[in-house]
Amino acid sequence: MEPISIAMIADFFHPDVGGVESHIYMLSANLIHKGHKVIVITHSRPSDRVGIRWLLPGLKVYYLPFVPIASGATLPNFFTFLPYLRTILIREHIHLIHAHASLSSLGHEGILHSHLMGVRTVFTDHSLFGFEDAASILTNKLLAGTLRNVDAVICVSHTGRENTVLRGELFEQTDDDPPRLVVSSNVYVIPHAIVSERFQPGTLQETDTITIVVISRLTYRKGIDLLVATAPRICAAFPNVRFLVGGDGPKLIELLQMREKYLLQDRIILLGPVKHNDVRSVLIRGSIFMNTSLTESFGIAILEAACAGLYVVSTRVGGVPEILPEGMISFAEPDEDDVFRAISEAISIVSAGQHDSMKAHERVKTFYDWAQVAERTECVYDMVMKSEQRDLWERISRTMRLGRYAGPIYTIILLVDCLFFLFLEWWMPREDMDFVTHHWDPQRFASVVQGMQSADHEPKNKQT
Amino acid sequence: MSTELPPWEKVLWKRQPYPDNYIPEGALESSLRKNPNFRPYTYWPLVHLSTPLTQHLATIFIFICIFVRLKDHSLDPRVLIFSSLGSFFVGYILWEILRYTQSPSHNIHGSKRNERVHHDRVKTLKSSILIFLALMSLSPVLRTLSAATSSDSIWALSACLFILNILLADYGSSNPVRQGRPERLTSVLSMNAAISSSVVLASRLSNDLAVFALIQFSVQSFTLFPMLRRRLQLQTFSTYQVSTRAIQAILTFALSISSLVLAAPLSSTIAFLFLFVLLAVTFLAPAVLVWAQKYKNEIRGPWDVAIPKVN
Repeated sequence: MEPISIAMIADFFHPDVGGVESHIYMLSANLIHKGHKVIVITHSRPSDRVGIRWLLPGLKVYYLPFVPIASGATLPNFFTFLPYLRTILIREHIHLIHAHASLSSLGHEGILHSHLMGVRTVFTDHSLFGFEDAASILTNKLLAGTLRNVDAVICVSHTGRENTVLRGELFEQTDDDPPRLVVSSNVYVIPHAIVSERFQPGTLQETDTITIVVISRLTYRKGIDLLVATAPRICAAFPNVRFLVGGDGPKLIELLQMREKYLLQDRIILLGPVKHNDVRSVLIRGSIFMNTSLTESFGIAILEAACAGLYVVSTRVGGVPEILPEGMISFAEPDEDDVFRAISEAISIVSAGQHDSMKAHERVKTFYDWAQVAERTECVYDMVMKSEQRDLWERISRTMRLGRYAGPIYTIILLVDCLFFLFLEWWMPREDMDFVTHHWDPQRFASVVQGMQSADHEPKNKQT
Repeated sequence: MSTELPPWEKVLWKRQPYPDNYIPEGALESSLRKNPNFRPYTYWPLVHLSTPLTQHLATIFIFICIFVRLKDHSLDPRVLIFSSLGSFFVGYILWEILRYTQSPSHNIHGSKRNERVHHDRVKTLKSSILIFLALMSLSPVLRTLSAATSSDSIWALSACLFILNILLADYGSSNPVRQGRPERLTSVLSMNAAISSSVVLASRLSNDLAVFALIQFSVQSFTLFPMLRRRLQLQTFSTYQVSTRAIQAILTFALSISSLVLAAPLSSTIAFLFLFVLLAVTFLAPAVLVWAQKYKNEIRGPWDVAIPKVN
């Protein structure tokens, strides 16, 4: 497709670490390689991460002065982002915005405002939510309001798509009689990917000790209760097994208590928090990876472990059953006895030498690839750019159909947003703006970097 | 496109010859479950469950009526003291009978148990005398404690405290209160709210005897009576062929009628208000809940947080 200018908008981005953050970075980097222009818009990080920064493959990042309220997300207030967004989108000649994560209010606001500038919108949902508690009900209503007029939605797994379709009410009425509800055709599934070169299997030492690796935040949602319940049973049943647990969190205390109670200090090794760069070095010390999550939309940690040549045992939750073929993963129900059974099965497979880590690595390499993800995302962009943009009246009537109370509320927000935009057009005319004319030249940058590296100097904002 | 496409699979690890926005027919419905653990309520059991709430409201109404009568001197405090003493003894005898019938193992460990029961009785006697004397000696203090506060503030404060008492009281019947189990914090807070409310109301009375009578009555109706009520609620009279429901219904009816009878001479408007509140809580609210159930739409699917089963 024709190269276009894309703005990624999310509350979650480098220097924070996490699944969404690395997804945005890798996707942007690969889109830049395909010749598109990509910028990232996020909120500032206290002390000095403010203003405009450049990341390595020529990725421009705008850190806007918004204060995060909880776990890195900003407060949803619908309007304050518009002055910044209007200036940035117009200055940078953006054609399309791509918002990420359903708890990132900057992304939601971006989708709400972009149509004013004639910019198209894509949204990627990274997480699963239930429907029962008050927090879910509120955020789902917010999501439904935002996604009413989005041009395309991308989910990271089939389970995630089912969830997002229900939460965001992404249904269309068919014309046939009687009218049925069908899922809108603009909901796509494009999985995450991994950089398989960074998860090369290690060389195996010839011992009969089997090491089970667990790398996870130690929280309730990650199913640490199951780990605490099964680890002593496994240690009792298999004298040649030891555990390697990486991660930190509120459940660490329970893990420590269990270790003390069953006198397993020499067989359950707690590593504390593991940096993302060190994950591989921890993974290759073991041969089985254990994941006890209670909910997971994609399970990137499982993929990394499988790529590093480990046999995976996981609970059958969320999108996990979709990501690996049989023979590389054993599933268990979230039940102590069944997890024990699955681990025993995995131990017998590994000790019989039926799992070849090099072969597993080669297989995973063919499954997931960032270039492929970027290509598939590009297809979505292409479809969006070719489709007709909804006019204001259609937006209003679609928004009104949201519900008896939510509909008028969101319509008022939409209309006030339009008025605010008109005010900004008068107050800060486009003609007076500073347009970005020069952009990063990758070739020239590469030669400069090489020149600097020969002078033994590292670029500052390097992210791997 | 060729007709021999392989069937679509719900996997991510292989590229399938379908576009990324392809959804097979019925794929969404297959994993979606609606109202899986739904057990619809029926009307009469709900009415039965609402009776503790009605009883509690009726108790508060009775208390308020008694207070008004004490305040305008139409009720002699001595009558109140003697009638509440009488009801205390009736209640205590009832409590003892219930305890006797309730314990399933009254022939096992007979002597030891008898000893404990005896010990409990002595303790009860001791503490009731203590409370009686303490209240008597404190009533002049309680009368003047908030005397300087204006009446408007007192009415507002006591209303707030009674509302707190209603909100936090323990109406549960599903969780049987086992002997020796400590009371829940909310019910303790509720009890304290009611007692504080009666203490602030007591400052509006004119003599010490009336204050003593009111506080004594409030202790009985807000701490001792709820205990008895809960025990009655949990009681199974299988041996006596009397159902718990009948007992509950009779008790609720008796309390409601007495609150109305007490309120009617004071003000017919108030009496009608009481009647409306009691009827609404007992009969209308369960009906609304039964009606509202048709809007229940609980969606469950593979995205829900699994509940780990640990032995």
